[in-house]
Amino acid sequence: MSTPVVLDPTTLPSDDNVNSYTFCVELKGSRWFLQKGKMIAYYGQIQFDGIGHGRFERLVRSSFHSPLHASDWVVAEGSGKMLLADRAFDVNSFDLEDGNLTIRSGNLLAYQPTMALKQSIVPGFVTLIGTGKFVAASNGPVVFMEPPLRVDPQALVGWADCPSPCHHYDHGYMTGVMGGIRSLTGIGGTSGEEHQFEFVGAGTVLLQSSEALMAEQAAGAVPNEPGVPGGGGQPGSAPRMPGQLGDLQRRFGW
Amino acid sequence: MFRLQGSKTLAVDLTGDAVRAKNGSMVAYDGRMSFKKMSGGGEGIRGMVTRRLTGEQLTVMEVSGQGTCYFADRASEINLVALHGDTLYVEASNLLATDAGLRTGTTFTGLRGGASGNGLFTTTVEGTGQAAIMSDGTAVLLRVSPRYPLMVDPGAYIAHQGRLQQSFQAGVNFRTLMGEGSGEAFQIRFEGEGLVYVQPSERNTVGGDV
Repeated sequence: MSTPVVLDPTTLPSDDNVNSYTFCVELKGSRWFLQKGKMIAYYGQIQFDGIGHGRFERLVRSSFHSPLHASDWVVAEGSGKMLLADRAFDVNSFDLEDGNLTIRSGNLLAYQPTMALKQSIVPGFVTLIGTGKFVAASNGPVVFMEPPLRVDPQALVGWADCPSPCHHYDHGYMTGVMGGIRSLTGIGGTSGEEHQFEFVGAGTVLLQSSEALMAEQAAGAVPNEPGVPGGGGQPGSAPRMPGQLGDLQRRFGW
Repeated sequence: MFRLQGSKTLAVDLTGDAVRAKNGSMVAYDGRMSFKKMSGGGEGIRGMVTRRLTGEQLTVMEVSGQGTCYFADRASEINLVALHGDTLYVEASNLLATDAGLRTGTTFTGLRGGASGNGLFTTTVEGTGQAAIMSDGTAVLLRVSPRYPLMVDPGAYIAHQGRLQQSFQAGVNFRTLMGEGSGEAFQIRFEGEGLVYVQPSERNTVGGDV
């Protein structure tokens, strides 16, 4: 029988992983932003405050830009060591140096307030800008890839320093009469891989090694303005004229 | 006699002696084994009644024979705990197996149990021998000493041993009630001298989501 490692504040790592599922943050009078409910234990004097609290008004203004999302985040402040974990998913810390990183909002666990968190234009994603450390969770270890590449939507965790992805469809397989029948009925077999995200340009793409998604975390609603993706007032959402089959028509290639 | 086969399977070598394990957790064995369900966790009529009353249900089987028996439960990580005359406090749902020589019982945990959604009672394992406890993800073992008290999220707590006092720390204020809480409003504070097992995952708790 191997003796388990017993940890105390002197042997816990500082801002590093305890094991692949647990991350230890050392606070020395400093602050961290945490996603709600991800702290599992701590030593020392640490306070947890919901943001949107008057004391943090300035901090929120400089490093938090998703006003409607504020209730899901907590500021940890004080001195001591705290352990972060999320449903036994793998956690890892990453350093960002004067860069930007866009990540699925549910995967981001914690970050230093030296960075600014903003809602991404891509729905469900948030962007970190600046210099600092953040902690992200993934189902299975994270793999780093360089564009150009196409990734499965469920495996995508985030991307750094490269332009936003676009959708890619295996067109030959999805359109035409046979494609329509396949897609609608499943007869003839779909591989489940007809749709990907495509990345081009310079940067890094972060993938998780499974296709199980983390629970969706609301990234906040966007202003209801024309021209804002996901907002109201979108062109093309007008009711379809009678006599048109719309998507079905296009799908069957008529 | 307890050993880990990988991190998610417990192998127990038996030479005519017995081990108690969670009912239905046997996955394989070689040799000759007999399995006997122990009503009320083998704690007699009184234990049975107590468990029924406290809701700290524990359905246990006694395995005896010659050979090696393998146990696992829902791919949980397994941690071995050696007891030398001291007491291990563990949630019944996290206890996988104990040496037949260890005594199990129930104890009142106070307010903590109420907040962690695990009931007001917990299971104790006493004596000298080995026990196997389960966690969702690799458990972290933290030492508590008079210099370093420890605060634990009720949903992540699985077990503790040693001379520890636990108290319930609530940071509830009007902001919590207005929906601007920190999500960390309830914590268990451990003081004294001992070890606490914490899992990297949170059960759904009454207090955990406040």
